[in-house]
Amino acid sequence: MRCLARIARTLPFALAAGGAWAGGAGAGGAWAAEPDPVARGAYVFQAAGCLGCHTDEKAGGLPLAGGRALKTPFGTFFTPNITPDPANGIGRWTDADFVRAFREGRRPDGAALFPAFPYASYTRMTDRDLLDLKAYLFAQPAAPVANKPHDLTPPFSWRFLVPAWQWMYLTPGPVPDDPARPAAWNRGRYLVDALGHCGECHTPRSLLGGLDADRYLGGNPDGPDGDKVPNITAHPKGVGGWSDGDVGLLLEAGLTPEGDVVGGAMGEVIRNSTSKLTAEDRAAIVAYLKTVPPLE
Amino acid sequence: MNNRVVNALAAASVSALLFASFGGSAGAADPAEQVKDRQQTMKKLGGGMGAVAKFVKNEGATAEDAAKGAEAVLAVAAMDPKTIFPQGTAVGVADSAAKPELWQSWSVAQERWSAMKPAAEKLDAAIKGGDRAQIAQALGATSKTCGSCHEDFRVKKQ
Repeated sequence: MRCLARIARTLPFALAAGGAWAGGAGAGGAWAAEPDPVARGAYVFQAAGCLGCHTDEKAGGLPLAGGRALKTPFGTFFTPNITPDPANGIGRWTDADFVRAFREGRRPDGAALFPAFPYASYTRMTDRDLLDLKAYLFAQPAAPVANKPHDLTPPFSWRFLVPAWQWMYLTPGPVPDDPARPAAWNRGRYLVDALGHCGECHTPRSLLGGLDADRYLGGNPDGPDGDKVPNITAHPKGVGGWSDGDVGLLLEAGLTPEGDVVGGAMGEVIRNSTSKLTAEDRAAIVAYLKTVPPLE
Repeated sequence: MNNRVVNALAAASVSALLFASFGGSAGAADPAEQVKDRQQTMKKLGGGMGAVAKFVKNEGATAEDAAKGAEAVLAVAAMDPKTIFPQGTAVGVADSAAKPELWQSWSVAQERWSAMKPAAEKLDAAIKGGDRAQIAQALGATSKTCGSCHEDFRVKKQ
């Protein structure tokens, strides 16, 4: 498969080379030139980290057939089947349905999606990336696996309240590139804020489950599975004391500056997502993170 | 008294009972000590990985430092996981971070542990070869083997 060959070409630790950025076009990155939507979609799929949540890996679930339990302070969500199965998955979704789910957090029938699906971040994705992602997902095998109902604590189980949440916390994208910033920075912001949805875990939430914008990437005491999620701003208590290579090596190999290898949820993110990005894209993430306002 | 202390005391009294009933067979160690030993072993492993990483990142480590680092990694990788993870040293004992699942899925854990040795051997060979890109690749592959256990069997640092 061509896309795999391309991903395999990723240079290890090219961060050390500093100016390795290929001068891609802002949020589109070097991938803007790839003509095949399925190959492009495969990369978007990895950068957006879809596989982990939508696969019940530990129970041996089929890829993308959903069913993974996501324990949150609001209850347990069971992720849905996103294979092209027409009865259980998204096989009947049109392009417009797909884009609307990410952009506005709505199902094809118009009902609001719970924000455990991180559309407050994905709303920033470009139409092209969304449609390429759909092309990739629709090229995957259909899995006839039924969805499990969520197990949520009221009032968070009341779907009719979700539009109010969206009114408070969802700013529909996409977000235009900042022309005053270099292309790598814009690509980095897109990877962190839109595709990587890093803030969904690294930013603390309000009581209503919205991200606290004033504490952007400042760490979250109450992350997935009750874990503490670290501060990744440029503050000394975050990654302020880390070199570019330190951040790059963590994203590529999970190795911290002390030589520890991260596990837990981030270990999975590294395995499924950041280790599979191009070296240029990891460098772009580093370039952007360095400019995130430091928080204690 | 916090939970951790209670748990540690409970574990200590249980092991004291075991000692009493089995006559304290020679070599049976205190679980809290075993946890400490494990942390030392992991520190050695991390120190080795960190030295190689510093060399790869070009941040002040020499090729010799990297070679020493790989040696440390190899030495730990060659150890028997049973001695590093003796029964009764799960989370709750001292400041252990090992999930009980590690012992429940012992064959998986053992398999993952043994994947470290061939990876470390490649790392060592790459350092002797001197090609930085190859070292970087081997370092990534080695840390992957570490991460495979940390992901499933280590509780997150709180």
